Amino acid sequence: MLDVSGLGFHYPTPPEQHGPKWQFDFTLSPGECLAIHGASGSGKSTLLNLLAGFLHANSGSIRWHQQELTPLPPWERPITSVFQEHNLFEHLNVADNIGLGFHPGLKLSGAQKIEICAALERVGLAGMGKRRPAQLSGGQRQRVALLRALLRGQPLLLLDEPMTGLDSDARHILHGLLLEQKRDGVAIILASHDAEDRQVLADRVWSL
Amino acid sequence: MQNPLSFCNALRAPLSHPGWQLAPGLLVALAVITLTATGVSALLWQAPALNPAELWQSRYLRSVVSFTVWQALLSVLISTLLAIPVARALARQPRFPGRGLLLRLMELSLVMPTIVVVSGLVNVYGRQGWLTGVVSDFIPALQWNLYGLNGIVLAHVFFNAPLIARILLQALEAIPQSQKRLASQMGLRGFMLWRVLEWPAMKPVLPGLLALVFTLCFTSFAIVMTLGGGPGATTLEVAIYQALRFEFDFGRAALLALVQLSICGGLWWLVMRLGEHAKVLSEQRFSQPPPRRDNRGRARFCDAALILVFAVFLLLPLLAIVARGYPGLATLPMFNPQTPLFQATVKSLAIAVPAGLLAVIATLAIVAAGRFPRAKTVTHSAGYLPLIVPPLVLGTGLFLLFRPSLGVAGPGMLLVAFINAMMALPFILQLVRGPLASLNQSSRQQADQLGILGWYRWRWLHWPRLKRPLALALAYGVGLSLGDFGVIALFGSPSAPTLPVLLYQQLGSYQLVAAAATGLWLILLLLIVFSLAHVLTRTARLRPFARPQNLSVMDIRHA
Repeated sequence: MLDVSGLGFHYPTPPEQHGPKWQFDFTLSPGECLAIHGASGSGKSTLLNLLAGFLHANSGSIRWHQQELTPLPPWERPITSVFQEHNLFEHLNVADNIGLGFHPGLKLSGAQKIEICAALERVGLAGMGKRRPAQLSGGQRQRVALLRALLRGQPLLLLDEPMTGLDSDARHILHGLLLEQKRDGVAIILASHDAEDRQVLADRVWSL
Repeated sequence: MQNPLSFCNALRAPLSHPGWQLAPGLLVALAVITLTATGVSALLWQAPALNPAELWQSRYLRSVVSFTVWQALLSVLISTLLAIPVARALARQPRFPGRGLLLRLMELSLVMPTIVVVSGLVNVYGRQGWLTGVVSDFIPALQWNLYGLNGIVLAHVFFNAPLIARILLQALEAIPQSQKRLASQMGLRGFMLWRVLEWPAMKPVLPGLLALVFTLCFTSFAIVMTLGGGPGATTLEVAIYQALRFEFDFGRAALLALVQLSICGGLWWLVMRLGEHAKVLSEQRFSQPPPRRDNRGRARFCDAALILVFAVFLLLPLLAIVARGYPGLATLPMFNPQTPLFQATVKSLAIAVPAGLLAVIATLAIVAAGRFPRAKTVTHSAGYLPLIVPPLVLGTGLFLLFRPSLGVAGPGMLLVAFINAMMALPFILQLVRGPLASLNQSSRQQADQLGILGWYRWRWLHWPRLKRPLALALAYGVGLSLGDFGVIALFGSPSAPTLPVLLYQQLGSYQLVAAAATGLWLILLLLIVFSLAHVLTRTARLRPFARPQNLSVMDIRHA
């Protein structure tokens, strides 16, 4: 269970400029999907960045199964993020990009390599392991990013507008993958402007 | 459910402690600052009686200071007036034949050995030069003398106009594609295009760029040594050298060094206060610009003429070097260890290669440490200090400090390599910073989350992006040191010269054929160094079949 309580944040601004301040309180169970939406600047990305550890909260706590996550750096949190773009490292091929989810030094076992090939085949990218991200379409790139996130095996998935700009076929493939993850107990927080994404995936919708 | 801590500890990347990024850079930056401070302090300490009143009492010193400022201002003005139209023409004509080669040549101008280029300029613009001969036929009354202010400014323009044009072109190419498209759609051209797009793009880089060029001209040594015409055309750097080498007047050397330091330091303080800085070397390639109205018809012809004239201006002295040097070089027993050329080559490389390596390592360390806010001021200062403190001032101080123990051999040469490396720092930093910063925010966050830190971050994310710029940086470091004629003039020995010193000696003793051969060999060596850097880091180019949005050409180049 993810338990976020009194999580406060404001960007450092001079006192005379009254910048936005946020405070978040919510819980999320394994296998549940919380969709958040709101206007630009409402704090969707800020919340995801706070959870992932890219921003440091001014107050409050983030607990996962009673374990406090706020003091942990991003790489020690049980969380994987997928952004709208720039998820893949352009100079590495598809297989290596996914392999980084298993080991940050790309020291992969034979079984893990086979797993990557099988995963690629499952999402319709069979034989594309050697391609560079620049040789993939937008939908294919997002599938690769999501595959890496899933193979990393972390129980909490943060999705920041991951399907913006994708065609409906690509969206359906990603929806299928995410629903499968939900069934396996992965908790998902989805920031999305798209009503269809929220309708298909979300158990709860939170408007910021 | 998996315990996140146990999972991540097992994958802890080697060298991922932040200290590994911070400490080496901080140490290097402090070493640069300490060495500079030591050099300047030693100069002050050794000066027996520093008499500032000499500056306005001595007519000679007054004329040295005013000439130094005047020639630098004139050089900056003429270089800029030439560079702006060239940059605009090159921006308007992205498909001009040979444009790529011309741009490479313009980038190389920074490391072209001064003394060699000067010999080329003499062959073209000297009293017996190719061009002087042709022009004299048409204008018999022409009173042209290359030696003195004319030659100094001409040489400065040769070196600095390409540098300014290259950086301004980069600023023009960096105009957002959307703005270029809008301007194209609205049919903007001429003055309106300049006012709306070009001037706003150039304006931010101009203060830093002009300060850089002014500093380079102000502290120019080899050009003034070779083209200066007696006391009437002497700059501070040459006066310091003369005070040290011939008059043994340390007080005067210290005084002149302080004047130079205050003028350059004051200028850079002003530039830093403005918060501007010039990107000295190109770091990005840009995608194809949209069609524009002002690059066809008569405008195209004018642009082509301007680019051609500029290319000829750059190429003529180089062609002269090849034409004069080839006969001598072709008949020379190149690989005979007894020849002065062979020995000078070995000596030059023995200084330049360590200098290049040192510069690259120091740059990497400084860039890595500079990402920590608490180290930013120190690393930033160390990166720009070599621009403020001219090499001769630094060399003079250290020369005075180590005078009894530092000879011309081992330790002295190590110091020369170290100072050369320091002098290359500001330029190399520009080469490395861009690619290192090109990892966008999302990618950095992904890398953090995946635990790609420390060694893994270097191996998988930075090295593929940096190997080409680093090889180029090494080539620049080696090239700048190969052409050095400032610091080596202080520490070098006439009996064991480097290539530029050998060339200077040969010119001084009227061995013109041998001098031309040495000059050509130095240029060839430079080309070999740059070609090696290019070949060693060459990677297969990709042909993307579906280029996604927001992917720059640079990303593809990296791939």
